[in-house]
Amino acid sequence: MTTPTTRAGADSRARRAVRPAPPARPTRRGRRHPALIALAFLAPALIALLVLRLAPAAVALWDSLFRTSLLGGTQFVALGNYLELFGNPDFQNALLVTLVFTILINPLQVATAFLLAVLYTRKAAGSKIWRSLVILPIAVPPAVSAVIWSVIYRPDGLANAFLDLLGLPAQPFLTSPQQALASIMVLLSWIGVGYWMMFLIAGINDIPRSYYEAASLDGASAWRQLWTITFPLVRRPLAFVLVADTVSNLLVFAPVQILTKGGPEGSTNLLMYDIFTRAYTLGDLNTAQAEVVILVLITLVIVALQFRLLRSED
Amino acid sequence: MKRSRALLLAGVAASAVLLAGCSAPADSGSAGDGSGTVRFLGPEDPATFAPVIAAFEAEHPDITIDYTQVPFDQYSSTLQQRLGAKDDTIDVYAVDQPNLSQLAAQGFLEDLSDLSDEAKAATSSAQFEINQYDGKMWALSVWNSTQMLFFNRDALAAAGVEAPTADPAARWTWEQTADAGRAAQAAGTQYGLLLEQVEAYYQLQPLAESLGGGSGITGDDMLTVDVTNDGWQQAMAWYGDTFESGLSPRGVGGFQTAPVFIDGNVAFFVGGPWDVGRFASDATFDWGVAPMPYFEGGEVATPTGSWSWGVNTASKNKDAARAFIEFAALDPAGALATTEATTIIPSNTEAAAKYLPGLEELGGEHAAGVADLITYEIEETAVPRPVSVGYVQFESAMNTAFADIRNGSDPAARLEQATTQIQDAWKKLR
Repeated sequence: MTTPTTRAGADSRARRAVRPAPPARPTRRGRRHPALIALAFLAPALIALLVLRLAPAAVALWDSLFRTSLLGGTQFVALGNYLELFGNPDFQNALLVTLVFTILINPLQVATAFLLAVLYTRKAAGSKIWRSLVILPIAVPPAVSAVIWSVIYRPDGLANAFLDLLGLPAQPFLTSPQQALASIMVLLSWIGVGYWMMFLIAGINDIPRSYYEAASLDGASAWRQLWTITFPLVRRPLAFVLVADTVSNLLVFAPVQILTKGGPEGSTNLLMYDIFTRAYTLGDLNTAQAEVVILVLITLVIVALQFRLLRSED
Repeated sequence: MKRSRALLLAGVAASAVLLAGCSAPADSGSAGDGSGTVRFLGPEDPATFAPVIAAFEAEHPDITIDYTQVPFDQYSSTLQQRLGAKDDTIDVYAVDQPNLSQLAAQGFLEDLSDLSDEAKAATSSAQFEINQYDGKMWALSVWNSTQMLFFNRDALAAAGVEAPTADPAARWTWEQTADAGRAAQAAGTQYGLLLEQVEAYYQLQPLAESLGGGSGITGDDMLTVDVTNDGWQQAMAWYGDTFESGLSPRGVGGFQTAPVFIDGNVAFFVGGPWDVGRFASDATFDWGVAPMPYFEGGEVATPTGSWSWGVNTASKNKDAARAFIEFAALDPAGALATTEATTIIPSNTEAAAKYLPGLEELGGEHAAGVADLITYEIEETAVPRPVSVGYVQFESAMNTAFADIRNGSDPAARLEQATTQIQDAWKKLR
């Protein structure tokens, strides 16, 4: 994040124009091998990348081609684990649930975060306080949030008491295959929307006020201003929020583990939880590695698609 | 130049510290002569085992026990990792009894068959059998458990229902319990019946056993699923109906069940000995203890089992390790010391006889008869969980099925689905 151009104070702008700035007194060795020096500086990051990211990924890929059984030993099965996964009804269900979940939750969360960001950047009484309250749930660890919501969603819990107050019938929430996934989406949005909202608020605050003033003079309505000024100019933070939110929603685990354990009837069995069960409950590490590889591929495809769509609009 | 050399030195020093951290201390005591340090791994708080370790070290001054706790959630996977790597820094470890056959099949447990006679004499037959796999004995039972029917006497009185007693001869049936629970609900109590581990095989196995459905695992190699027979279907239909009819609440998870009873919101609660102390201190109404029910015309069956301790095959100090587990399991004084700092029943029969009156005292007048009841259940009605290398996969699939049936899935179809899931998982074992 830091650049070498910031140290010179007043003339930093001028220097930025002629980057890369030559070092004050380059050594002979440095002049001959600038790449080596650069590499030395990059080494800690590269080593970390290699050891913490690339090596585990390679191990996962390699392991997913083998099968180790308790009584039979280890053998090479090539794509056997992948083929078996795609034939497994539990995996097929997990895949479907994850896709439905991704398609529903991301637009919902991003839209809500955008609308809230617009709302809380208006000059209204106490909007900063409301804003803080919306962001507050991020400070609660996901596991604790899940436990709190497990009490809210109980048949005799807060949610049903609230419905009762409105004269609505009690709902089964997490105990119904039709409502469980939606209930988890609500809980995740309660945690996540405030966080994504912050990025959008920053983006909206960057839009020069003069644009709005000019539009007002031309008689543009607030609605028109929202769609023709705010929305296009906030597109870059919006793209980041969409991609980051998608990735984080593909990796959802704690609420499922704590609230539903993938049930009822597999209706909340997201891929991440299915991987966990396969690896640590069923003890089938190789197939779980194959599933991890599949999840990474799915994530890459979805993110690539999003980048492509957002770019073509430019 | 000076600077870079200093940096280099710092780097070397840092790596040295890291490497030193990785290599385990080499001192594991003198090998094989029953002295030195015994490293003991378990999921409990260190305070729990402090009394038994102190008592053992007092008797064996040349042996030191070094206990390490690994939280229960990570215990099984940590064991798999470390034992799989032939880690000799574990000498003794606690074995969750249903996992014993898997650990033994993997070669992670030392054969203790030469202690069979002493072990048989020291504990109940169910607790002796649970440590057998492939005709050999692989661990010694240290703790045991059972389940009882707790009831809210005030709620029953309000409904005009005469409460059950602690006498096993006057054991209630599930049908009788459900009727009384519904009567209590009609008289104002929120729920009629609740099981503490409401979606767990440990507590639900007896329902099927009582109706002749068996454990769910059969075959010579104990790798044949049998959960679609009449007994299992009938038991699960009954279980599903307790929730469908509102007798029992849906959506109340494992750790939230006991508070429902403590708050006076349920008439009957099936729980363990550990609840006696908890209810004695927290429940403000009149409660009592009765034997766990059975189905009318069926067998009486109650849950059992807890933790055994075994010796790691990779241990370099097996004699001292064996001395320690023999002390905790076979010596009544040692066995009693394992329960000194916690509420659990020692597997050792003699120690249990000394321990149970104290438990009864803890519960006060509410728990009258609990000591005799627990002794009776452990000796006469306990049915252990099945011994199979595939138990872990079986239990996981069954628990998910129980949760679904609780939430309204058709029992017959769901048991069919569980069978397929278990068969798929077991294919990978062979």
